[in-house]
Amino acid sequence: MLATIRSATLVGVWGHQVSVEVHVADGLPGFTVVGLPDASCREARDRVRAAIISSKLKWPPKRITVNLAPNDMPKSGAGLDLAVAVGVLAADQQLAPETLKNMGVLGQLGLDGSVRPVPGALPLVDAIGDSPVVVAARDRCVAELVAREGVRPINNLKEMFKALSGTAPWPEPPPPPPPRRADPEPDLCDISGQPLARWALEVAAAGGHHLLFVGPPGAGKTMLARRMVGLLPDLTPQESLEVTRVHSAAGLVLPDGLITRPPFRAPHHSSSMAALVGGGTHMARPGEVSAATSGVLFLDELGEFAPSVLDALRQPLEEGKIRVARSQGMIEHPARFLLVAAMNPCPCGAGGTVGCRCAPAALARYQRRLSGPFVDRLDLVVRVDRPDPADLLDSRPSVSSAEVAQRVAEVRTLTRKRGVARNADLHGSALDQHAPLDAEATKVLRTALDEGRLSARGLRRVQTVARTIRDLDDGGLELRAQDLLAALSLRMRLDSTGSLIHG
Amino acid sequence: MAEAQAQAPSPEPILAVSASPAADLDATARGVHAAALAALPRASSARLHKLLKQQDPAEVWSQVVAGELPRWASSEDFADLWYRHARDCDLGALAEQLESLDAWVTTPVSPEHPPALVDDIDPAPILFRRGRVPDSGSPAVAIVGTRRCTPTGRSVAMELGAGLAEAGVTVVSGLALGIDGAAHRGALAAAAAPVVGVVGSGLDRVYPYRNLDLWDEVTASGTLLSEAPLGAEPEGWRFPARNRLLVALADVVVVIESKRAGGSMHTVEEAVRRDVVVMAVPGSVRNPAAEGTNLLLSEGCPPVCSTDDVLVALDLATAGTAAKDAGKAESPQANRVAQNSLNPLQKRLLQLLDDGPVSLDALVLRAASPVPEVLVAAEALERCGLLARDGSLVMRA
Repeated sequence: MLATIRSATLVGVWGHQVSVEVHVADGLPGFTVVGLPDASCREARDRVRAAIISSKLKWPPKRITVNLAPNDMPKSGAGLDLAVAVGVLAADQQLAPETLKNMGVLGQLGLDGSVRPVPGALPLVDAIGDSPVVVAARDRCVAELVAREGVRPINNLKEMFKALSGTAPWPEPPPPPPPRRADPEPDLCDISGQPLARWALEVAAAGGHHLLFVGPPGAGKTMLARRMVGLLPDLTPQESLEVTRVHSAAGLVLPDGLITRPPFRAPHHSSSMAALVGGGTHMARPGEVSAATSGVLFLDELGEFAPSVLDALRQPLEEGKIRVARSQGMIEHPARFLLVAAMNPCPCGAGGTVGCRCAPAALARYQRRLSGPFVDRLDLVVRVDRPDPADLLDSRPSVSSAEVAQRVAEVRTLTRKRGVARNADLHGSALDQHAPLDAEATKVLRTALDEGRLSARGLRRVQTVARTIRDLDDGGLELRAQDLLAALSLRMRLDSTGSLIHG
Repeated sequence: MAEAQAQAPSPEPILAVSASPAADLDATARGVHAAALAALPRASSARLHKLLKQQDPAEVWSQVVAGELPRWASSEDFADLWYRHARDCDLGALAEQLESLDAWVTTPVSPEHPPALVDDIDPAPILFRRGRVPDSGSPAVAIVGTRRCTPTGRSVAMELGAGLAEAGVTVVSGLALGIDGAAHRGALAAAAAPVVGVVGSGLDRVYPYRNLDLWDEVTASGTLLSEAPLGAEPEGWRFPARNRLLVALADVVVVIESKRAGGSMHTVEEAVRRDVVVMAVPGSVRNPAAEGTNLLLSEGCPPVCSTDDVLVALDLATAGTAAKDAGKAESPQANRVAQNSLNPLQKRLLQLLDDGPVSLDALVLRAASPVPEVLVAAEALERCGLLARDGSLVMRA
């Protein structure tokens, strides 16, 4: 007897429908799974058998063949367990196969028959959303975000069997848990002094420009960078869905519902290439750059990251997405993040000149870790220093994140009228149209080019930063010399002694 | 020695530098024998000087390969040790190497050998040279200082190098990072007088490699000298030896920025041993890179506040004319003109910088103006040359 159940598997951040075909026939008892299952998928055999027996249901002593169609797509994860289990019961005629028509089934099984949540529930339910979907009770909130035909949350296999055989109704969904209070985002008003770095944060947030803080240990680079998220506006509905999808596929902890605030990801500097850009042996799982999409990717101790890992960030920095190729195919993940990085000017932290204990060769090695093309993509490079205690005491109270976020939101509104989400995305003719230069500004740029301070890419990048600076000021159309000078002075580069220079 | 002779089947093949006698002569002129002597183990400059101050290097070499060194040449018996090394020495390859580098090797008997190094208390018997023969008649000033200098130190070194070169003074320096390199870059930019670079490694081992361009420029328009044999790595002990050559070649040693201890202070000690005048450029008491130079000043070294101070010490200018020249420099006036066209914020920033260097952050806080305005004002001041940056600090230029 044959039964076909609808389920889904993850490929990258997208769900793909899978038909679980179960065939039960006379012959030597046995259980085979075919159709490119991965290891955890193949282990379904043992879990399904134990779960059916634990649920006091009958395990057919027959020859059981499970095929996961389409046959050429690799299946991964344990999310197909429940579909296989009900498939076996239906093929053994313990359940009427027609009750399973037009029903999606997703869930991992425990040996006691309990149904557990699956990673990537959101994209998976999305893939089979045009029919009711049976999911683990804990996946309900996420599933309801995308299910178009309703969700049937269950706790164990027995409940599902009873509901399908008509002896009991579908279990009442438990009341949704009280919404968890999101942790408050760190606020800018915790930081006194540091006017330059704060302003750079504001410009970066408003225009989506990548930012690097350079400074000695203890100057507050990490503290500043962590406050970037608080300056960014809420996610748009599309961004929100995309971020939730990626986080779900990456198996990250989700709030009860869509993610509405920009994510903040801070991978450690020992992170491998696969952890950062995504990947795995068979199919690519989204990495940290994708988890940070529409949010902030914070790389602390930038100089300690492996140079190859940093260079892998060039494509996402430029295109906002990352393509990862593996033996089984190529996957494209979103990676439209705002990079905030922090590094010491040299290994000892003092920065080249006075009081620096680094050998010149060690300094040069430290600087070489950042390749030219990578550094060229950082629009804002700002020196952060330990504040002077005297200035700390008599400085005015710090501006709060809310105040800055308000200005950032205003700039973003202006930007959307230009047809892009962020000024950093302005390219080519759109940039010339929305950020024309007045005569003085042209002169400033020409001088910078003549002095060799700018590359062609650098020129365009400075223009976008100047656009943001003007937007923060009064939003006028033409860029003035002062906007470009300010943009240029935020575009510093490290020289061979660890001090910042124009370039 | 008898044993050594017994091991030597015949010395002739070793002496054969090349097949053709013309090439043989050429290699001898280049000093291939001296180059081979310099590479012998434990061939200290004192030992070699004893051998080479009277004799031709080819002659000494033939004694070495024959194992027949005169006993007076050293207190120990080097004949055996040197003979064993000399036996494996390929003079032909060495000659080719010298040829490809266009390097020449001189000893006290050759006329190109700098006389100052022969008469020195610690003479240099073998000298590898690339570039022109240094003019021993013209005044020379050694400019030394820390490798890890401040931007101010670097620009002073460049100015001083350029100023001295324009006055026809040979600038002698060590081609190191920091002050040394900056002094040479200044002198080369002026392109008015030849420069002399004395390095610690072999002439085929560029060190520091970052100064490769400088190394080439000095060779092209001046002289590059080294006491180390070809292939010698820049080992630590070679630099004090190099420092004594710097001093011996110079009439005045100028120190621009040096820590309390370090190579530059060693150079000063060598200068004191030779009664060479040491001058120092004063620095801020807050600048650790100027601790050594300020110490020198407090011990009585004459200060260098301009190129003229050095020229006066060389008797190339009198104090009176120097002062008159200083009046002509006009840079304070130029500053004044620039200052008149400043806007109020720029003037205010300059006032705030009167108290000394501060971080840009502190400048913004003290100016109590919006960040972009201060940034733009600082940029403009930097362009007029009224403001300088050093690492995290900004200061009046």
